[in-house]
Amino acid sequence: MVTHKTKKSALWSDALRHSPWLLVYLICAFLVNAALIRGNSYITLAADAVLAGENITFEEFLIPLCILALGGAVSACLQSACGSTYSAKVQRSIRDRLGAKLLSLPYAYFDGHGSGSIMSRLISDMDAMGRFFSETLPILLMDCITVILVTAYLADMDVFLIVVLFASYPVMLLVSDRLSKKLTAIVKVQRSQMDRRTTWAYDMIQGIEVGRSFGLYHRQKQKMDAVLDEIAANKAASTKISSLAWSLKSILTQIPLVICYLFALYEFSQGRVSTGELLGFTVMLGRIIYPVGDIIFALNEIREAGVSMERLQDILDRAPEKSGGSFELPQEALHGQNTEPAICLQGICFSYGDGEADTEQKKDEPDKPVLRDISLSIGQGMHVAFAGGSGEGKSTVLKLLCGLYQKHQGEYLLFGKPFEEWDLEAARKCFSYVSQNTVLFPVSVWQNVAYGREGATRQEVIDACKDANIHDMIMRLPEQYDTIIGERGARLSGGEKQRLAIARAILKDAPILLLDEPTASVDNENERLLTEALERTASGKTIITVAHRLSTIQNADCIYVIEHGQIAEQGTHEELSRLQGAYARLQKCMAEQA
Amino acid sequence: MDINTAKTGSLRWILGLLGKRLPLYLGAIVISALAQSGTRIANALIVKQIITAAQTGQISGVHLAVLGSFMLFVLCQMLWKFSIARYNTEGAKGVASLGKLVFSKVLRLPYAYYEEHHSGDFMSKLIFDTERVGDIYSSRLRRLATAILSSIAFLIPMLYYSAHLTFCLLALSMLAFLANSLLAGPMKRAGKALSQSVGALTEKLTNLLSGMEIVKLLPAKAELLADYRQANGRLFQVQQKSNLYTAVTEGLNNFFDLAGALAFLGLGVWFVSRGLVSLGGLAAVYTLYGSFRYQFLDIGKYFPQMMHCIANVERLREFLLQEEADLEPAYVHDKDLSAPAVSVEHVSFSYANGANGRPILTDVSLEVQKGICVAITGESGCGKSTLAKLLLGFYRPASGTIRVDGPIAYVPQEPYLYQLSIAENIAWGKGNAESGEVSREEIIQAARIANAHDFIMKLPEGYDTIVGERGNTLSGGERQRIAIARAVLMNAPILLLDEATSALDSESEKLVNEAIRRVSQNCTTIMIAHRESTIAMADRVIRL
Repeated sequence: MVTHKTKKSALWSDALRHSPWLLVYLICAFLVNAALIRGNSYITLAADAVLAGENITFEEFLIPLCILALGGAVSACLQSACGSTYSAKVQRSIRDRLGAKLLSLPYAYFDGHGSGSIMSRLISDMDAMGRFFSETLPILLMDCITVILVTAYLADMDVFLIVVLFASYPVMLLVSDRLSKKLTAIVKVQRSQMDRRTTWAYDMIQGIEVGRSFGLYHRQKQKMDAVLDEIAANKAASTKISSLAWSLKSILTQIPLVICYLFALYEFSQGRVSTGELLGFTVMLGRIIYPVGDIIFALNEIREAGVSMERLQDILDRAPEKSGGSFELPQEALHGQNTEPAICLQGICFSYGDGEADTEQKKDEPDKPVLRDISLSIGQGMHVAFAGGSGEGKSTVLKLLCGLYQKHQGEYLLFGKPFEEWDLEAARKCFSYVSQNTVLFPVSVWQNVAYGREGATRQEVIDACKDANIHDMIMRLPEQYDTIIGERGARLSGGEKQRLAIARAILKDAPILLLDEPTASVDNENERLLTEALERTASGKTIITVAHRLSTIQNADCIYVIEHGQIAEQGTHEELSRLQGAYARLQKCMAEQA
Repeated sequence: MDINTAKTGSLRWILGLLGKRLPLYLGAIVISALAQSGTRIANALIVKQIITAAQTGQISGVHLAVLGSFMLFVLCQMLWKFSIARYNTEGAKGVASLGKLVFSKVLRLPYAYYEEHHSGDFMSKLIFDTERVGDIYSSRLRRLATAILSSIAFLIPMLYYSAHLTFCLLALSMLAFLANSLLAGPMKRAGKALSQSVGALTEKLTNLLSGMEIVKLLPAKAELLADYRQANGRLFQVQQKSNLYTAVTEGLNNFFDLAGALAFLGLGVWFVSRGLVSLGGLAAVYTLYGSFRYQFLDIGKYFPQMMHCIANVERLREFLLQEEADLEPAYVHDKDLSAPAVSVEHVSFSYANGANGRPILTDVSLEVQKGICVAITGESGCGKSTLAKLLLGFYRPASGTIRVDGPIAYVPQEPYLYQLSIAENIAWGKGNAESGEVSREEIIQAARIANAHDFIMKLPEGYDTIVGERGNTLSGGERQRIAIARAVLMNAPILLLDEATSALDSESEKLVNEAIRRVSQNCTTIMIAHRESTIAMADRVIRL
């Protein structure tokens, strides 16, 4: 909670950075109000003159009022433009900040939070936040100006009136505070209901294949309907409170207004105020007294926006990935001139729970350790492999190596330097990672591959695709390299997607290649194409493969067999085959299948 | 003219969604608007009473009169409170039914739609567009109706106090109104552009989120971020454009505000001097005019906003009018055991229409007898998975016929697990676990058949472990076995497995194959596969 308060600055610094716009807005607001009050005083004067039977010349009033009207119009236009520019700029800055922040968050954060809930924050909360900057804040500030002007205006009449006006404040504050606290609690519930709605909807869309084939439509709809009904019920609860707040506010504002009127009447009867002044006073006050109550009851809206801000702030406050040092290997060192082992692990331990996403997990339950006491050394240019059953932590090793996860214990040296001393970005430049789930973006084939290297030329992309044995397939697509791929790479077969991912990795040309089950989901023909592609690009590179098909790793320089998060055996295919241990069991398992 | 009827059509449609509660909803709007005007009129009455007392010198009786008006004020305020609460409650129900409608539509689209559209697009539709349209229920319509109703409500006492002055002020307001309505068209267009920009931004965001593990390792991280920033910048520009229109409107309105004061000064004082109106009446008219002008210009302000929303309604309606998939599976149930479970006759298919679509299947015919286990093999890209989608009814063949005898339980290569507990994920095969349609015993039974029970029990929270999107705690094989348990619970006569074991290690594969063997004893099994080990389990092999 303490860290929360101290770091509130991220959102506010954006709000402050653009504050000149807000300042101009306020100046304009002041001018608009001043024009209004000034115009009113002319009317008062004129009324008095007429009532006294004097002839008034219209020129005397017409010209200043025309100037006031024009000035007011220009100010109002500027006021609106500056206010909305301010809000739009703040929103853009915050969205930029959030986008950049998302990329710097530790990978573990995304394990703990579904895309749906993150999306909900970035869409709905951003919207609520936008409303705060475009409506609540400017109006609040403008109301403040109006109140100051009204106070000055009243003080001009009689200081006693200010006392009357502000006497109602403590009551209002009390009422408003009580109600807005209740309201905030409801809004918080509402936000989490919204989260559930978004998460659920996102889930349904992503899983449409399952939903469709199992005929889940009616049941999923039922579930969504229940969430939507809950949101409506919650809204009904909040409206009861907010409407009461508004009513009380109006009544509490009306009381001092009436008292002021009566007081003015009393002053008039005493002859201290002219008829014109009385007219001007009553008319003016009735029009500008409302902001007095609005300011206090803006508390509701501020608290409501506060809920959203807190949720956005929560993302911004998350510690970014640790990029401990600034170490960077010179380019030539990455390609063989360095004699240190590419990777050296000493007593590495890891479990999921202790990472970043810990807030939502139950603390009392010990986390299942995923990796225990892993020690190994991989020389440059070596080809090693991890084998073992499913769920034993093979893929986790790869994610740990490229810094997606942080180890909890032990030492990890990359090219002889502790990983913590590396600049994270520089360290990641050492790896090409082909993950189990192929990720393709809804852009052209060309762009998808080109993401592998900054500023890649078209020819380089085509060469990489040729190396990855995917060029021919691409040329058969309706728009070849410019064909847009669906979000999940739909309509490309598993093998095709995988080869595109490999082309991307080839283009990256990093010294260490991480392959997570590269040939898992492909048929024999594709496997041959893939193996060929990999051999072509692998020369001189360190390759670390996770595979369960032992045929793909037979030629590895060293195979580590992982069991229960530990290295059970290590050695070449021949050595391990002779051991009659874990590796032999895997082999037997394979043989039975075939 | 057509456009106008479309607009009223959209409005009627959106109000129609409220069904029987529409009168209650509209009634609440009318009462709240009148109550709100009532408070202002009560206030004007107080002003008039004060000024008249001052002018006539009869100050003694004024307190009682003012108290009476104040009580009227309080009464109207309370009436407003109850009507507005009712209105909001009904409005929220409207928002909910709209959400339900859009959501159910999102789930009923033709399968191709999901492959062609980005999920960011869906999310923007479900959240942003629906919220904007929902605003009609929760604020827009009431604001506009209140502005119109209050304007009328204020006009009546104004006319009563001074018809002359009122007509003059009204003429001026009409001018302001006309100036405002000139901007309605551009504002509507700006609204449309705004919602498109939000959609584009959401899409970029989804891109960043969906492949986080790869994004983090790509040098192009900066490029993806730049894409997002660019979309953000575009949204900013569109926002600014729409803000400009608002600013001009605000300027105009303020001009007319002071021009109104000017007219009031000129005319009012002149009328008073000629005895056409009393000073108290003048004060009352001006107080009322302050409120009237505000409400009347609000018509001009809220009308374009309403247009804005109606543009969204139109967009949403277009979406809702999209062709739907036939969710009722088109299978026949033939009790005759000798009838084939699946028959495919001369089926051809390509994804895109026209010449540029790669033909995926050409004149494919096959038959699968009941109760047997068939493996379908073929080279990568030969259309095995497409055939599965055709059998499932996700797509319709371009030519030829497909007959499927009974529902199909489907296990895809990368089964999707919902962000729910494992128990619920399995239960979806049959019913809703939450509502108790599926008992825990049934779920466990299915998990045992699918060889999933043991590993589930080892998880810290067993069957209540939440899995999902990035369920990193589960391996591919484990996820697959949960998917099979789901299929088991469905208890369909046909089981369709699309490369169910190809991404698995040999140990998992053994467990999964064991499960498949167990399940396939009771039903017709179709396996799309390329692995020898899977093909070996089949009674018959079909090569595509």
